[in-house]
Amino acid sequence: MSIADAFFMASFTVPEIIHVDPKSTLWLLPLVASISIVYKTTKIPNIKALSFLKEVVILFGSIVVFMAVSAIALCVLAWLITE
Amino acid sequence: MASDSKEDNVLYLMVVGLFGWLVPGGGHLIIGKNKHAIIIFVTIVLTFGIGLYIGSVGVINYVNAKPWFLAQLMNSPAVIALAQISKTGGYSVYARPSEIGQIYTSVAGLLNLLCIVNAVYWAHLRRIKTVGD
Repeated sequence: MSIADAFFMASFTVPEIIHVDPKSTLWLLPLVASISIVYKTTKIPNIKALSFLKEVVILFGSIVVFMAVSAIALCVLAWLITE
Repeated sequence: MASDSKEDNVLYLMVVGLFGWLVPGGGHLIIGKNKHAIIIFVTIVLTFGIGLYIGSVGVINYVNAKPWFLAQLMNSPAVIALAQISKTGGYSVYARPSEIGQIYTSVAGLLNLLCIVNAVYWAHLRRIKTVGD
């Protein structure tokens, strides 16, 4: 096994350092992207690059916007309860 | 005769489902949807890989995180081998990396389950169409 291979394998045996801060919520984005891609793949019988990309981007945007709105609503609710 | 055809159909659907589980996108490959198979394979393997990279192989834990493990198992039977490595290697992971790693690997598994069901459904539709013709 070469040094590069060993380094690559080792990166899967030690967890990354991720702090509990607002920045860590950005890890949501790749997951939403993969959910959008796979979901649209199962929905479209004949995939054409442009229309597929458009559908994926629309779904991705919808999920992100909905989650952002939900987060804001929950923050406002928490603020109203605690103030 | 009709019974044989029905049994063949069930067997075919089971093979499609099994291949979809063995390799993400395998079910779609069998029914001739190559583009779908490639997209599914790349996306699910990447999602699972990101989860392992963030949380390490320690996120696959069938002793202390059984519900997560069931979802992770939907990725492929290879997850069982990873669980063995995780158990014997003593890879511990806590807090945020553990949460994110488990969410990524489990969602990848659930997405693959969706793809398996979808491949079986399309295979069934195709069979009905063929018999109808």
